[in-house]
Amino acid sequence: MAENVYIPKLAKIIEIKDEVEGARAIRTFRTQFLEDGFTHDCGQCAMLSIFGKGESMISISSSPLEKDYLQFSILKSGRVTSSIHALQEGDILGVRGPYGNSFPIKKWKGKNLIFIGGGIGLAPIWSVLQTALKHKENYGKLSLFYGARTSKDIVYKEDLEEIRKDIAVHLSIDQEEPDWNEFVGFVPVNVLDKKPSPKDAIAITCGPPIMIKFVITNLEALGFKDDQIYTTVENKMKCGIGKCGRCNIGNHYVCKDGPVYSWAELKKLPQEY
Amino acid sequence: MVNLDELKKEAKRVLEDGKVKYVIGYVKSKASNMAAPAFVTDPEEIENLIWDPTCVQNLTKFIVDEKKRKAQQKKPDTRPVAVVSKGCDSRAINVLLQEKYIERDDVFILGVACEDLGVIDEKKLAQKLKGKRFGELTFDDKKNVVATTTDGTVKVPVKEVLAERCVECQANTPLIYDVFLGEEDRRKPDAPFASVEKMESLSNKERGAFWQEQLSKCVRCYACRSTCPMCYCDECVVDTINFAVTPDTTAQEKALRIKWIERASTKSENFGYHLVRAIHLVGRCIDCGECERVCPLDIPIRFLNKKLEKTAKELFDYEPGMDTEKPALVASFKDEDPEEFIR
Amino acid sequence: MDKILEKKSLTNWLKKLTGYDVYAPVLKDDLWNYEIISDGDNLELDYLNTVQAPKKFIFPQVENLLDFGSSDEGTPEITETLPQPNPTVILGVRPCDGKAVILQDLVFGGEFTDPYYWNRRNATYLVGLTCNTPPSPNCFCTSVDGSPHSQEGLDILLTDLGTKYFVEALTDKGRKLVSAGQALFKAPTAKDKKDLEQVKTGSEKKIKRQIKNLKKVPPKLKDMFDSPLWDEEAMSCLRCGICTFLCPTCHCFDISDEVTSSLPLKGHRIRTWDTCQFPDFTMHSSGHNPRPDKASRLRQRMLHKFQYFVEIHKKYQCTGCGRCVSLCPVGIDIIEVLDKVRDYG
Repeated sequence: MAENVYIPKLAKIIEIKDEVEGARAIRTFRTQFLEDGFTHDCGQCAMLSIFGKGESMISISSSPLEKDYLQFSILKSGRVTSSIHALQEGDILGVRGPYGNSFPIKKWKGKNLIFIGGGIGLAPIWSVLQTALKHKENYGKLSLFYGARTSKDIVYKEDLEEIRKDIAVHLSIDQEEPDWNEFVGFVPVNVLDKKPSPKDAIAITCGPPIMIKFVITNLEALGFKDDQIYTTVENKMKCGIGKCGRCNIGNHYVCKDGPVYSWAELKKLPQEY
Repeated sequence: MVNLDELKKEAKRVLEDGKVKYVIGYVKSKASNMAAPAFVTDPEEIENLIWDPTCVQNLTKFIVDEKKRKAQQKKPDTRPVAVVSKGCDSRAINVLLQEKYIERDDVFILGVACEDLGVIDEKKLAQKLKGKRFGELTFDDKKNVVATTTDGTVKVPVKEVLAERCVECQANTPLIYDVFLGEEDRRKPDAPFASVEKMESLSNKERGAFWQEQLSKCVRCYACRSTCPMCYCDECVVDTINFAVTPDTTAQEKALRIKWIERASTKSENFGYHLVRAIHLVGRCIDCGECERVCPLDIPIRFLNKKLEKTAKELFDYEPGMDTEKPALVASFKDEDPEEFIR
Repeated sequence: MDKILEKKSLTNWLKKLTGYDVYAPVLKDDLWNYEIISDGDNLELDYLNTVQAPKKFIFPQVENLLDFGSSDEGTPEITETLPQPNPTVILGVRPCDGKAVILQDLVFGGEFTDPYYWNRRNATYLVGLTCNTPPSPNCFCTSVDGSPHSQEGLDILLTDLGTKYFVEALTDKGRKLVSAGQALFKAPTAKDKKDLEQVKTGSEKKIKRQIKNLKKVPPKLKDMFDSPLWDEEAMSCLRCGICTFLCPTCHCFDISDEVTSSLPLKGHRIRTWDTCQFPDFTMHSSGHNPRPDKASRLRQRMLHKFQYFVEIHKKYQCTGCGRCVSLCPVGIDIIEVLDKVRDYG
């Protein structure tokens, strides 16, 4: 008998990090399976379970090369994510997956990779970024644009300082703050300001829908072609395996056929996300 | 008798004058023997309107819809909509006015009198025709329904197949209107609560068994709620998510929302749903009976509302939707109100 | 394997089916529904189609996916609750509903096999009945690549030939049921075979409602995503779930946790029917809803059935049973909508 796709595996939380405080709090959780787990590819998601509350689809932000744990950065948003935020180190939750397609990183050998994230949208691209950093020899120049509403809303602060030693990191916040010495303005504007070259480049962007929209517009203005731009889509999900019928955009189930799309692919699908 | 040509003329006039955005009326349906609601913007299409005992739907529901639609639009057309309204439907408009859900200017009412008829109950007709499959229904001028069956046409007096709600109707003539069509023949039924009284005569045990069986059939398609003009809440206890969510709603507010009724269509949850709904309709349900008609599993939901209507009448002499000047039942309190039912 | 069963022997055959739960259409409170029957006495097979399709036997409205609880230390404990149903015979399945099961198989099979569905599916035996007379005025099976005598999805197809049934055992499961009452079945004569053909041909001609040139619809729908047609057609929609809950091919569901005890934690994770017609179906936790209005939800129903499903599985996700047409409280008619799509622009 094949494995029952609806039964989550149990995993222990080994580390919790507060990223952002407040009403829209973000926390990063590292989990370890109690028994056999699974391996994932960059960009895939997992369904996290709090028994008695429900399930929520969250992208895996750790690199597949990291064998010791899975990492999830979670925005406190509703019933399930609030219960996950209430967990402590050592607590156990359910995890099933991995679900969805992944970033085609094999095809990106030798390319310059430009990562463009906003808010919690750094999480889905973090696994690719980490993977690329571990195999820098496989790629050209790596760079990261990342923005948040305020300096307090920036996630992975320490990690960002760390990777700054290796790659160009362009941070931004939406409005002036006294001690802020970097760019002030929205992420798409920062991109336009720094003018990354489209030559041999791939841009990977994730963030609020409105940010993605303008990032793409500005990348196009800089000469990026549709198949040089990648993003991820999210919709409400329940099953994760293309059966419950709610996350579709056109004939694609985002849980199974997404969440990763090149702009060339996404353009062809109806705007239903 | 309502003169259909007259109705069309009035509808066309308000549409052509630009006085209303569109006219909500009835047209013949290809899908069913009952009429279908129509939303007419083109004066030419007024010609398709019908008025006969197949006009079952309570079109007041679509006035609620229009209000919700307008709320979503950036620059809504604020002209009223015209609506064809039977007596019972006009009571629903009254309740909406009384609850200040809509303004009088939001709607132009084309009141139609049911006189001594009303709408037919397809199931009663099917029983009359003893299993014969029937196609198209027409009506002759002797108040008969003429059904085309596999064995030729059969005539049945409309009165014999009237919906129960029409038999017990308290408002066969619209109570509020801008244009009135038909004969003003206000009559009261001899036994407005006969069907409930029949139910009341059963023992508790029998009634319990009856509802256990009936409500276990419910598939929770929520058609009863969806068709009800009084079920206009933005948020309902049975919904899985809070519709009033805005960008400012905090995660905590969402997380703390209580799931009163689970999704499973088990008996306990079905009871929860139907009883909560019934309680929320006390002093508001005007007995258009649509909840029961639309139910695909034929659950006699109307009994629940009728029972509460009877209770409100007996305890507080209150009749929903009859008088907009009166304060709403559940929004008012009088010193002499009976309290025996509070236990 | 073709056989003849005298109508008067039907009861005896059903009696031989020991170990099976046998369901057949029963008329109660003016509605036809599948009920468990003890024998074939009083069985009326010339019935109008049941309100609920046999889908509820294979994909029930409520399915327990797992039970959860917690150990004394508070560690979650999960118990798988796969159904182990009795072998179940559904007698008198209309060919449209039989074909619908094949369409459901496509959804619940594939890359991720759904064990709850297949445990029930494998235990279900579908005995169909040719519709000599259309069981609904809104039958339109012949427009969606079906027919009133379609064998798809069925284990046995019965055809009423007056005093007897022509019995076509179509699968191993079907042949197993026939062999349980072997002595009752005779070989068909040449005349029986001729009668069968005649009845079948005649049955197709009685289907009144049609969508002409449905082939043109899927490619056309591709360019109609932003059409104002959806707004017009959805004006009268009540946003109830009748059309989808009673559809034999609709498969959408919700998963939710029901807590029966909070300390210690106990409860069930259940799957329940859900529908694209409910506003909360696609609403994100942020309040954003990709399908915010009735028009976008009606469009999803049409596009899923006649474009997306066709693109993925090369079949219409509709078998023409007519339930959504007959039962819609406001007369929204899928046939009329598709006619309009075909002729649009």
